[in-house]
Amino acid sequence: MKENPILETNDVTINFNGLVAVDSVNFKINEGESVGIIGPNGAGKTTFFNLLTGFFPPTKGKIFFYGRDITDKPPHKRVMMGIIRTFQLVSVFDHLSVLDNLILSNIKSSGISYSIGRFFFSEAHKPALKKICLEALKILGIEKKAEIMTSELSYGDKRKLEIAVALSMNPKILLLDEPFAGLSDQEIVEVSRIIKEFKKGFSMIIIEHKISRIVELVERLCVMHEGRLIAEGIPDQVLCEPLVREVYWGKEDGLVCSV
Amino acid sequence: MIEKIRKNFLDLVIITAAFFAVLPVFGLNRTTDFIIFCIFVLGFNLLYGYMGRLSFGHMLYLGVGAYTVTLFAEHVSKNPFLAIIASICAGALIGVIIGPIIVRTTGACFALINLAFNQVGYFLALVALSRWTGGEDGMSAYFTKLGLFDFGKKPVIFGFCLFSLLLTYLILKKLISSPYGILIKSIKENEIRVKFLGYNTFKYKWVTFIISTTISAFAGALSILNYGYVTPSFIDPSRAVEVIFATLIGGAGSLYGALIGGVAYMAISNYLASYISRWEMFLGFAMLIIVFRFRKGIWGYIKDKFTRQAEGIVR
Repeated sequence: MKENPILETNDVTINFNGLVAVDSVNFKINEGESVGIIGPNGAGKTTFFNLLTGFFPPTKGKIFFYGRDITDKPPHKRVMMGIIRTFQLVSVFDHLSVLDNLILSNIKSSGISYSIGRFFFSEAHKPALKKICLEALKILGIEKKAEIMTSELSYGDKRKLEIAVALSMNPKILLLDEPFAGLSDQEIVEVSRIIKEFKKGFSMIIIEHKISRIVELVERLCVMHEGRLIAEGIPDQVLCEPLVREVYWGKEDGLVCSV
Repeated sequence: MIEKIRKNFLDLVIITAAFFAVLPVFGLNRTTDFIIFCIFVLGFNLLYGYMGRLSFGHMLYLGVGAYTVTLFAEHVSKNPFLAIIASICAGALIGVIIGPIIVRTTGACFALINLAFNQVGYFLALVALSRWTGGEDGMSAYFTKLGLFDFGKKPVIFGFCLFSLLLTYLILKKLISSPYGILIKSIKENEIRVKFLGYNTFKYKWVTFIISTTISAFAGALSILNYGYVTPSFIDPSRAVEVIFATLIGGAGSLYGALIGGVAYMAISNYLASYISRWEMFLGFAMLIIVFRFRKGIWGYIKDKFTRQAEGIVR
């Protein structure tokens, strides 16, 4: 595969008053590639995402997007560049209707031009925009719920909605933070299908701590432990590394080396 | 489209009719006062009800409008329209200047930093600039007659204020049903999430703050038109509680709620005060009832009741 890193970190470190949550991580992801980051709780996976998306700046190190230094860019600028994320705890707007949740993200990507005047004074539910939003909901199979309050959706539907919001922003790289956490087995299958179906062209990083759920979604697996990347490679290989097995299953586990 | 225009028109008719209905009860002077207060509540409600930022210092913005219109009439021109435009500009200007400091904060900090600025403004009007503002005595404002617009006549002021209220209502209605409206409601719920949708929330919070201060200053200017004089009570921070109460009584986060709250509060404070000298106590009880029983205010309660009924019929 041709090396064409879309996102790259160089010795990224963050130190929360003595607690080093992410420690000198050198990470690279190519265009169109899917990478999974696994690791036990508290390994620094989400913190690493927060650094990539600009939640807070790193104490040390640099982050590059298409070779451009974005270390000091605020979150909204990174989003405009195409770095889109979802959150570990589903993060949608409960007090808006399902449809309204999609309006803000779709305005930026729909191609319908919004001047300042139109943003402030035009009707939010313009037919053209509404159609795009409804199509996004149709894909998820929840278009009938467009007008209801988001707080009335099930957790699984909220997760789908959040992913739909993320997808509607035309990501160049999509960062999914534990997209399967808290979902039922059936919902996991559905969300997994949605991700697989709509992952076209862009790169993707998925955080998960249950390995089995993401093996089929990713091409490469990174393992984080105590803030460091301790292993990376194709999934089967990584899981057989002694160090990985040690942090994941303890010293002696008698598990067969397979997924 | 036509349906929308009709619906807006219906809103305006309802509001107008409501104020004409209370006119015989409270008289021209007080009803005008109600209308002006409603404009103030609408401005406050945009910030608190829609964007979730509670300010304890909104009297400052009302006061800026009130003093600007008076000083403008005194020193520059007695044309009432120019004076009102000047005070609207002053309201926007103070939002532009102190907005970037204020909107960085949230919660208690936001409330108190507004209060702090209000204290400064109160001190300036009462003491530091008393040579110009008349200090504790305040000062009178005179305006010239412009054709039909003779603001010495109470019905003219009433009509003009009602027109102003309808205009403010329409503008706000347009704003909150736009993408911007969805944006500020989203900021109320989860500002960080909005940032991760690619919006520079600081900019939009600032704009919302400016709109709110501008409307408040407009209300301040209209008060002077109605009263004819300005005193430091127009900028007194301890009166900020009035607008907060009114918003909560009516129901934060809806335009009708703001209007109902404004009228209800004014009715209580005007009507009850003539029967019970310590009417604030009643207000305290009313507040307790609202907090425990009607969390969404009068309008929120009515709306919930009607939607539930409608759902019941469907089922």
